[in-house]
Formats: sequence, structure tokens, C-alpha cells
Amino acid sequence: MPGFIEKNRTYLVVLAVFLFLFWLLTLQVKAGRFTVLERPVLAVSGFFERIVTGTYNGAASIVQGYAFLVRTERENRRLRDEVGRLRLENQMTAEILEENERLRTAIGFRKLNPPQSVLAQVIARESSPASVTCTLNKGASSGLERDLPVITPEGIVGRVQTALPGTAKVMLLTDPGSIIAVRVQRNREEGLLEGKLDRCALKYVSYYMDVQEGDVLVSSGLDGIYPKGLPVAIVTKVRKHEASSFQTVFAEPVAKLSRLEEVLVFRK
Amino acid sequence: MRPSVYAVILLLLIPLQASLLAPLSRIALAPDLGMAVLYVIGLLTTPVEAAFAGIAIGLLQDVGSASLLGLSGLTLGIVGLLTGLLGQRVLDIKSPSNVVFLALFSLAGSLLMVMFLDLIYGGFPMLGPFFVRMVPRAATTTLAGYLILRFATRRSVLPLIRRRELQKER
Repeated sequence: MPGFIEKNRTYLVVLAVFLFLFWLLTLQVKAGRFTVLERPVLAVSGFFERIVTGTYNGAASIVQGYAFLVRTERENRRLRDEVGRLRLENQMTAEILEENERLRTAIGFRKLNPPQSVLAQVIARESSPASVTCTLNKGASSGLERDLPVITPEGIVGRVQTALPGTAKVMLLTDPGSIIAVRVQRNREEGLLEGKLDRCALKYVSYYMDVQEGDVLVSSGLDGIYPKGLPVAIVTKVRKHEASSFQTVFAEPVAKLSRLEEVLVFRK
Repeated sequence: MRPSVYAVILLLLIPLQASLLAPLSRIALAPDLGMAVLYVIGLLTTPVEAAFAGIAIGLLQDVGSASLLGLSGLTLGIVGLLTGLLGQRVLDIKSPSNVVFLALFSLAGSLLMVMFLDLIYGGFPMLGPFFVRMVPRAATTTLAGYLILRFATRRSVLPLIRRRELQKER
């Protein structure tokens, strides 16, 4: 036995480290994710990501600027039309908002205060196959802090996980650690939406809950992070198991997470 | 490998993976640079060194992302050990046929990670992501690994990155 240990000492050390990492994982299941060294690593990687993204975007904009010059006039005309249409829609929406506020006041509801937001650019995407994150070019100096909701015009993207002065890491809603309290828009049924890497799944959906493919899930606001009523995902698959009291419900995020360029971060 | 090489790898891996390869991740084609580099380390060093390199790279990926600390560390550590053992057994480390193992390691690593996630969070689908995410990723990782190996085993590069003791051993 001592001979075996002596002969395989280095392999036994590796095995011990593996067991330690496994123990570390089981600890985090109970206590939540450890964030040791997160800030220094984000600071260093954020610095290099800014340089790499800046160089890449600079080179890409020169090429794109030349290539798209020929289409500019047509694009310009189309955009002018769209601006006109959006102005009209905006006026109508403002009318509806005003009417909504008047009615809310009339029935004694508190006034709606739209949250302040910060526009940020995505400068990097996930670095690990086991998580889905992105890095923003704005951080704590722009008012960003942990657990602030990140959205696009389509819907919710995720929440700020770590914020340094000039950069922030965002946990996207498909990350395994992400959970959002949602509501089925059609019938107001509630559930918890959990990330599953390339899509999301509704957790603990009872067998009798009415969920159908195509249903839109909106944030319920019950998690205390995301504002109420924002689109989150669309139900893509519903599977009922006779032997289980729960059904499996998968959903695709409404926001195009693979094509994120600019996002809005709601400040408190 | 020389300590300075490890320092450069650990410093540049995350920024390169997260920013330069980000456009490829839009179509699920971004290679796992950590895995590709680890494959080369495994072929050029010993199993134990490759295992520790895998643990270091994986832990760095874990810290730099939202993943549980140790998840990638454990997975890449196991992959590093296996690539190190492979490196001891193949006659010609430069042979292109070795990349088949990298494809297998990449797939096995992704499956192992999803199995861990399933164990921790539950309800992780395997079949869909296997074809949509893991296979394309394994293909591009294999290509990246092959190109890195070709570069690392060049006459002018190999003596610069390998420790002297290992150069004498081989």
C-alpha cells in the first residue's frame, strides 16, 4: 500500500483536487454561487475585452461603412418613412398613457413612474460553456449595480451580476442560475422561469395549469428584480406526463440573446 | 510548458473567447478555446500538469462567468488528465488523426457539464443541445485545437513554450 501511494502520489493529489472541486460544487448548491475573485477577473478581462472589441468594431465599421454606402439612400428613405410612422404611433401611445394615468388617478391607483435607464453596449459574450453571460461597456460609474434588470425593446434579457466602475457582467435569462417570476399573459397563471442554456423552462408547473404552446410569458414583478409586465419568453413546448403531477414547459426568450448589441439597464 | 506561457494563456483566454469569438457564438459556432489550448497542453506535457492546467483554465472560466465555481474546473481538469494520458500514448503528437480525440473530448466535456448541471439544477435537456450546440462547438473546437497544435509544434515555437526538462524527456 505505501508503495502504491508513493508511486501514484501525483495522481492521488489530482484526485484529491477533483474531489475538493466536487465538494465545492455541492456546497454552492446549498449556499449559492461563490463569487471569490470575480471582481479582479472581470476587471482584467473587461480591460482586454474593451481593447479587442474596440479594435474589432473599428475595423468592422470601416469595411461596413464602405460596403453599405451604396445602400444608404434607399435605407434613408425607408427610415424617414418609419420615423414618420413611429411619431404617429408615439403620439397615440402618449394619448393612451395620459388616459391610463387619468383613470388610475380616478380609481385611486398610485402614479406610474417609468424607471430611469442606461443604454449600454455589449462588448463580450460568455466565456464558459456552462453559463450564458455577456459584458457591458457601462458599470457602477454609470449607476449600474447588482440585480438591475437588463432589457431590449423586445423584452427582458437578464440581470446585472457584477458591476465594476467601467464594466458590468450580465447573467442572461437562459443561464442556469437565472430565475424570473413570470405570468402567462393569456390567463395570468404564475410560474418561475429557469434558464436551461439554450432556452428556458417553467419550473413546478402543475399538471392542471393551463399553458399552451405560443403563450407569451411576461414578468410578474414578484421576484423584486424585474418590473411587472415586460415580455420574457414564448412557450414552445408543453409535455404532460401521466405519471407526474407536473408538466414540462419549455420557452424561447423573446429577446434575441444571440444578437445582442445594445441593451437598456433599468436603474432603481 | 513554461510558466510565462501559462500566464499569457490565463490572461488572454477569457478576453479572446468572449470578445473576438463572440460573433461566432451567435450561430453556435464559437470554439471552446480553453478546451483547444488544453488539448495542446496535454499532448505537449504530462497528464498531471495538463490536469492542473485544465483546473486552472476551468476555474478562470467559472470566475469570469455566472457558472458555479468548480464546474468548468472539474470538467476541464478531467479532460486535461485524459489528454495528458493520450499525449503519453500517441507516437506522433503532430499527426492530424489525433484531433478525433479532441472532438471526442469536447463532446464528452460538454456532456459532462450538462450532466453536472442536471444534477445540480435538474431538468436539463440533452438531445436538443447535443446537436444544436455541442456538435457544432466540438467541430470548431477541433479545428481551433488543430491549428493551435500546428502552430505550437513548429520548430521555432516549441522550444520557446516547453520547459527544458520536458524537452530533454522527449
